[in-house]
Amino acid sequence: MDEIAQLRRAAIAPEIEPRRRPMDVVYTPRGVQRDGVGGWQIMFRELTESSRLIWLLMLRDISVRYRQSILGYIWAVVPQIATVAVFAFLHSSQVLPIGGTKIPYIAYSLWGISMWQLFAGCLTNCANSLTSSGSLVTKINFPREALVIGALGQPAFDFVVRLIPVVAVFIWCGVVPSWQSMFMPLLLVPIVLLALGLGFVLSIANLVIRDTANALGIALTIGMFLTPVLYPPPVRWPFYLINLLNPLSPLLGASQDLVAGGFLTQPEMFAAACIFSMGLFFGGWRAFRITILRVLGYA
Amino acid sequence: MSADTIICIDGVSKKFCRSLRRTMLYGVRDVACDMLGMTRHLSCLRRDEFWAINDASFEVKRGECVGLIGPNGAGKSTLLKLINGVTLPDQGSLRIFGRIGALLELGAGFHPMLTGRENIHLSGAILGLGKYEIAKKFDSIVDFSGLEEFIDTPVKQYSSGMYVRLGFAVAVSIDPDILIIDESMAVGDAAFRKRCLDQINAFIQAGKTIIVVTHNLQEIEKIAQRMLLLDHGIVRADGRPAEVIASYMNLLNTRILLREEFGSATGEPAIEITQMELRGGDGPPKSYFRSHDELRVIIGFKAHRSIVNPVFRVQIFRSDGLFCHGMNTERHGVECGEILGDGKIILRYPDLCLLGGDYWIRAAVLSSQYDELPIHQMATSIGIHVESEMIDGAGVFAMPCEWITAA
Repeated sequence: MDEIAQLRRAAIAPEIEPRRRPMDVVYTPRGVQRDGVGGWQIMFRELTESSRLIWLLMLRDISVRYRQSILGYIWAVVPQIATVAVFAFLHSSQVLPIGGTKIPYIAYSLWGISMWQLFAGCLTNCANSLTSSGSLVTKINFPREALVIGALGQPAFDFVVRLIPVVAVFIWCGVVPSWQSMFMPLLLVPIVLLALGLGFVLSIANLVIRDTANALGIALTIGMFLTPVLYPPPVRWPFYLINLLNPLSPLLGASQDLVAGGFLTQPEMFAAACIFSMGLFFGGWRAFRITILRVLGYA
Repeated sequence: MSADTIICIDGVSKKFCRSLRRTMLYGVRDVACDMLGMTRHLSCLRRDEFWAINDASFEVKRGECVGLIGPNGAGKSTLLKLINGVTLPDQGSLRIFGRIGALLELGAGFHPMLTGRENIHLSGAILGLGKYEIAKKFDSIVDFSGLEEFIDTPVKQYSSGMYVRLGFAVAVSIDPDILIIDESMAVGDAAFRKRCLDQINAFIQAGKTIIVVTHNLQEIEKIAQRMLLLDHGIVRADGRPAEVIASYMNLLNTRILLREEFGSATGEPAIEITQMELRGGDGPPKSYFRSHDELRVIIGFKAHRSIVNPVFRVQIFRSDGLFCHGMNTERHGVECGEILGDGKIILRYPDLCLLGGDYWIRAAVLSSQYDELPIHQMATSIGIHVESEMIDGAGVFAMPCEWITAA
């Protein structure tokens, strides 16, 4: 018995010991297979294999960003405060007829813009992740989705930094968030997945056609005004319909509901938006995998 | 496919597009087809497309060192990219059994703002090394690159040589089964080049498979056991280095000649070289010689019209293109007189003082030795292999010399 156990151990041991990349890769016009595995299976396997790389890429982006700057992380909060200052002025001087909000306008808009910038930052960074990596993408063979996912690190970090002025303003305005706000991190997941799913597709598109990044910048500027970030959700036609079709509205709305009242005003819309983000993430990821190697030829 | 095959390339083709606009158009169309799962017509060329690799099939065995040569734009780098898996073939399949280490572009994963230390960790992770593997190899990587002093300096302040040294050190640290090298060792100083070559030799000793693309034929001939000649995406020759280099030289020679003929734009030449062969003394033609053998270059010609005093020229080049020796009839004061019809002329080297190596010889006929364009030149050159003894010395020529020891 002992001998058999020993033999078995000996047979298993060498396989476990060196954690090396699997052997036997086949490249055909239809795609890649590793150890006879393709499709979704290899996607999940390579994702887990590259988790450390993703983490290192995030750390790299965060640590590099402000290395040669004096004000450093202050730059993360400047655009947010500037935008809110302008809108708070327009709001208080009654130049723009902005409807009433549940919490003081300055707190409402500051929170809204922080969430929006998380989404916009993730999306922009993901879309540019492949083009900005230069020859790394075209010369080295590694799971490229690591670059796209790794691009989330810096906007996520900026979001955390931006929470400091948010907290300061909440205290200043005397707003006490509801206890349900502790579920906020869960709410961030669909927002990030939505950005990532779109980012997968746009990063590929940007490799083929460089107009994508420019178009995205304009689309995000327009998108910010079409999403109830700086004003409460519209109730009048036609803005109501736009708001209804915008998957980001219920997600942002839910975060504002959570802070203000502690309950969701549109739970069914929120659920639909969550499902939509999940679908977009997996769809975008799959599309990315199918096309990346093909597109590198055109990059 | 045998058991020790490590790379199996089967009917692989890859196309590229010359125009950037069409590249974008085709790119969008192909990506859309891929997403929708539609079949694309991969086997036919659309407008402005060409085959960068055309139906290449070969196998590489474990432990082989293969040199990949060919003129610029032959598809060498594309083939390496396909093997490395950074681009997919349009036809055929590639099968790779092992971890690939690619020296395609050294330091490609480096971020200029990060220090050398941070970059080692990051690009190690990109190349697939785990946390502990990197930690274990960190010291040897730094040691190999010779950059201990600068390891905490941002790499953007590195010189290009230092950058490449660090890149090479990281790339070889992943201990690949297959190493593919693309001309990347051209940078770096002589000491580092030597270290790179030593490292490659160590890989060969360890039974690793290596594929090298290079234009330095002299260097590659020393390490490669087998060579592939690629031209216009087609594998033209596959075999022993000396043979493949000879066919490469013929290919290049033909190219040069074609250009010369276009340049001269004359009709049928008055005199043509019809045949060339090498003999040692009176024996049969041969291509294998030893230093200090007798060598006769026999040139057969045919004059279509009467021609007075043409000049015959013989040139010897080393396999890497070094011009070793040239001689023509005018230099020797030999007058050929009036020539018509077939004839023969022989250049005799009584003591061939070339040292061991591969050379190629070509012959031409000119109207004067200062002619830019020969009247005619053989399209093919003849390869010659020379062996020499230890006592003949090293370099290009076996020159008579002696030591005088001062008492």
